[in-house]
This record gives sequence, C-alpha cells and structure tokens, in this order.
Amino acid sequence: MITVALAKGALLKDSVSRFAKAGLDFSNLLDKGNRQLMVPSACGRAKAILVRNGDVPVYVAYGQAQLGVVGYDVLREHQLPVAHLVDLGFGGCRMAVAVKDTSAYKSASDLPPHCRVASKFTHCARSFFNQLDLPVELVHLTGSVELGPITGMAEAIVDLVATGRTLRDNGLVAIEELFYSTARLVGNPLALRLDHGDLQRIIDSIRSNDHPNNFSS
Amino acid sequence: MTLQPASGAKDLNPQQVETNHLLSKRLAEVYRLWGYEEVSPPRVERLTTLMAGEGISNKDIVKLVADEPLGLRPEMTASIARAASTRLSKRTRPLRLWANGTVFQTRETVEGTMSIEESLHSGVELFGVKGISGEMELLTLMLDAMEKLDIRNPASPTLLIGHTTLMELILTNIDGDKTLRNDIKNALLNFDRLQLENISMEENLKRKLLSIQEIRGLPSYVLTQLEKELGKSETLDNLKRLFKMIEPIADSRSIGLQLDPTFQPHFELYTGIVFQLVFKDNSAPIVIARGGRYDGLIRHFGSKGEDAAGAGFSFEIDKIRELLAEEVSNDEKYKKMLVTYNNTMNLEDAIKRQSFWHKKNVVAQVELEPCKTESEAKGAAHKRGCSDFEWLH
Repeated sequence: MITVALAKGALLKDSVSRFAKAGLDFSNLLDKGNRQLMVPSACGRAKAILVRNGDVPVYVAYGQAQLGVVGYDVLREHQLPVAHLVDLGFGGCRMAVAVKDTSAYKSASDLPPHCRVASKFTHCARSFFNQLDLPVELVHLTGSVELGPITGMAEAIVDLVATGRTLRDNGLVAIEELFYSTARLVGNPLALRLDHGDLQRIIDSIRSNDHPNNFSS
Repeated sequence: MTLQPASGAKDLNPQQVETNHLLSKRLAEVYRLWGYEEVSPPRVERLTTLMAGEGISNKDIVKLVADEPLGLRPEMTASIARAASTRLSKRTRPLRLWANGTVFQTRETVEGTMSIEESLHSGVELFGVKGISGEMELLTLMLDAMEKLDIRNPASPTLLIGHTTLMELILTNIDGDKTLRNDIKNALLNFDRLQLENISMEENLKRKLLSIQEIRGLPSYVLTQLEKELGKSETLDNLKRLFKMIEPIADSRSIGLQLDPTFQPHFELYTGIVFQLVFKDNSAPIVIARGGRYDGLIRHFGSKGEDAAGAGFSFEIDKIRELLAEEVSNDEKYKKMLVTYNNTMNLEDAIKRQSFWHKKNVVAQVELEPCKTESEAKGAAHKRGCSDFEWLH
C-alpha cells in the first residue's frame, strides 16, 4: 500500500485537494473532528500520515512514506535525500532577512560581521551568510522569531514571509530574499526506482493538475 | 555512568548470534561450491586504502587515533582488492575470493549527531574478468545465495540493477560543456526531476531526458525503450545477453528484476553493473545486499591490462536476520542436552556423562545442583531451554 506523508497546517487543504484529483481521497483529514494521524484513502489503495512540516522529508527519506508534500523551505533546511518531483505552486512564501524598520541596514551585506541573527532555519541562514562571506552568530529559536530584534537579542532574523503582515505588525521589514518557497511533491528515491507504475501514475496525475509551466513527458 | 553500548554498536543476544552464524554458513557453502576461497581482510586500514576508489567518503569512516591516518573498514572490498592486486597478483585469474566480517560506518543522524553503525557482512569478489561474463557469474551466484538463504518473508525481493554504460549512453550525444552534462547526470542520479526541469537546455532534449528518467522495469522492456530513445548500440546488445540469461533464473526463484538506467549509487566507485537486492513490503524498502563492478579501484591498486577488473557483492547479515519472519528453523538448531543427577550421584558423575555426550558431538550442559526427582530434572531442562535431559540416579 502507498503511504503519503502530509504536513499539518497551511499546506494540508491544498495537498488533500491535489491527491483527490489523482484519485486518492484523504478528505477525512480535513474533518474538524478528526484526531486520527493515519487515514486510509476512500479507495483503500493508499494511506496518509499526518505529521509536522519538518517531519515530512524524514518519513520520506527513511522510506516509511513513498510520497510526501512539504514546503521547499523545509527541504532546503533539512537537506535529506528525497526526490523532488513536482512544484505544486501553492503555499508560496519568501525566506527573507528582516530587521527593525528603524534600522539603518538596507541589505544583508550591511549587517556588521559577527552580529546575531535569530532563525528557525539556521541551515538556510548559515549557507546564505556563508555565500555572502559574512560571519554571523546564529541563534536558533523555535518560534516567534520576530522577538529577536524587538528584544534586542539579535540584529536580524531569517524567517518565512507570506504576506508580510506579521513583520509589519512587529515593526520589522524584510531587506533581502534568500529564496521563494512553494509546496513540493517529494518521493523516496529507492521506492521510486522499485516502482512498477503505481507511484508514477499518481505523480503524473498530480503533475497534470499542476501549474502550466511544468513539463509533462 | 552510562551502561548502554555506544550509539549504533551491535550488542547481540545468543539467539541473534546463532542466526548470524547460520546465515553466514549458508552463504559460505554457496561461495565454496562456486570455487571461491575465503580471505580475512584487516579491520583496520590506512585511510588512503579505504578511500581509494572514491566510493567511500572521509566522513563515512570511523577514524582511529594513531600515528598515521587509520580507520575501521566501512566495507571489505578495498582491502581484498588491494590484496588481489599486490601479494595475490601472481595468482591465476579469474581470482575468486570471499570474506565474512564486521564493518563500521559513521552515519549522521537526523539530530545532526554522528553515530557508528556496525554490521556483519558476507560477500564475494571476482578479479580478472572483464565484460559481462563476470557480471553473469556474480548475478547468478547472488541468486543462488538468495535461494540458499531461504528467507521466508511475505515481502518480495527485487534485484534493482543499473549500469554505468547506460548513463554514458544517455549523456554521449548531449552537446554542450562538461558542466551541463554533470548537472544533467546529477539530476538523473538524484532523481531530482525539478532540477532537470530547471536546467537550461533545448526543449527537445529536456523532454527526452524527462522521459528517460521515467524508464524502469523489466530489463527486456527497459532495453527496448532505451533502444527507441537512444538507438541501437553494443552496450544495449551486451545487456540484452546478460538479462536473457538472468531473467528466467530470477523468475524461477520469485525474485523480481528491475533495470533502472539512472540508478548508480556510489557512482564514483562503480564502473559497470551496479545492483542492490531489496525487500519491499508495506514499510520501507530494505537493502540486504549490494554490489557492482569496480575496475577503476583495481587500476588504482596497480593492476594493468586484463587483470584490471574486479566485481563483487556483499550481503548484510544483520538486515537479513531482522527480515526473517520466523526464527532459525528447528532442524538446523543443535540438540541440547541437560545432564542432571539425584542425591545418590554427584557432580563428578554428571561431568563424566557430559563428556560422553560431547564425544557424540551433542551440546550438553550440566545442572550443577542435584534434582531430587525426574520431574524436577525435566522442569530444569525446560527452564534451561534444553531439548532433552538425562537424570542420573
């Protein structure tokens, strides 16, 4: 049976909708009363496991799930060996460097060497500042990263920005974009190589419902 | 004080050790039947030897504190290949060797910490045979070994196969610089379709490559599809010959064959066929054996001409043990006898009797305290896990 790892939260509704178009109905996951973490598809061919965002690539890399849907930001942060199959186009947001709106820093390279940068995404932040050749002290936070500059603990943050409202409401402004992130369909490479067509059919169906820029072979 | 074994280290109980021995013995019997000779490569090697084929990266090796850069072997091929190319270089080719032993690898956990992974391997190496004849022997031997292992598991095994010449064939006619070919190769090897879509190249070429990335399945089907995409070639004809022989053997042993043109794990090391034997059921796929051709490594160790050829495979015994749906079958377990005695006899009598059983090659142990009745002796035998007992009275 095919196992699909889906992320709780903002990506779930669109993820369920994409799989429904590919013939796998996991709409039970969207019921408000649902507390189950593993649900079978209506057709019984597959099951979905509901996991935290950061755990999707882990389940897929270890092979417990053959397919998964997760944001590109999480894939960049965790760097696990998963196959990137389809850019699903939804869940768009920017990974950005932000500072206080009163700050004199207008770009990331203006930040002073060895300044503190708070982030949930320390791997992404580290590789970005390494490319800039700017040494910084990264402070790992697990949430409410905006408080870093507000409390004076950090000069800047690296975080996801969707509409920019949270930044504005907390007196912060984005000064540089690291990358643009959207939801991706990912797969376990070994499971894909052992596939006899079942996984490929699902991938093809999801791709054909995807945004028009994608290639369909 | 931490009383646990180091992370990743194996600390097996007697039943697990017995199963490991049994599986190793079954494999050794097949290797010997095929004329392979046992060698015992060193557990500690110079890092330069371990990394010679570029298939093993520095971070995978457990390093030792010593005056020279040393590490524990992450696999046995490099050491055996070195021996074959140096002190065994005068031996007639084909040279057939096998080895059984523990290997060590470091692995980065999801938390970012390093863990040492210890595992028992059993495998063969075949030296001095170029071309597909060596590959034919190896694959047939592996299928024989699989049959002898008698793994009774509801999951079905699949032999996943790639060949470096197929990737070369795919990349041959691509115009452009080396960087473009490398980018394409990496995207195909990593199964990264999005990367392939984003590489700047002609639309027709992109569509062709995206189509090739989806070709996998039964070898006869895959080779026909590749011939349609890439045209006729000697490489494809050679592979047809190989699989014409292997397909019916695999079929008769219920082992699926899956040829995947873009499958090349450790692509720096392998220079021909590369394969993994995988069990796949409802959970994650489990690789129980892997192997391939590594002529480049042999050349690195100084072999030249026809002698510069090597190929082999290795079974991971611990993974096979974990796969077994049931414990080792009873007929292969030793008969185990418990010698007991009552108060009219003594321990010396029991030990003499134990020697009698040992001479008959029966596993026998003595109950050190007397058993007053026969039923007490029977209970003791049951408690000690013995299949039989003797009560001296």
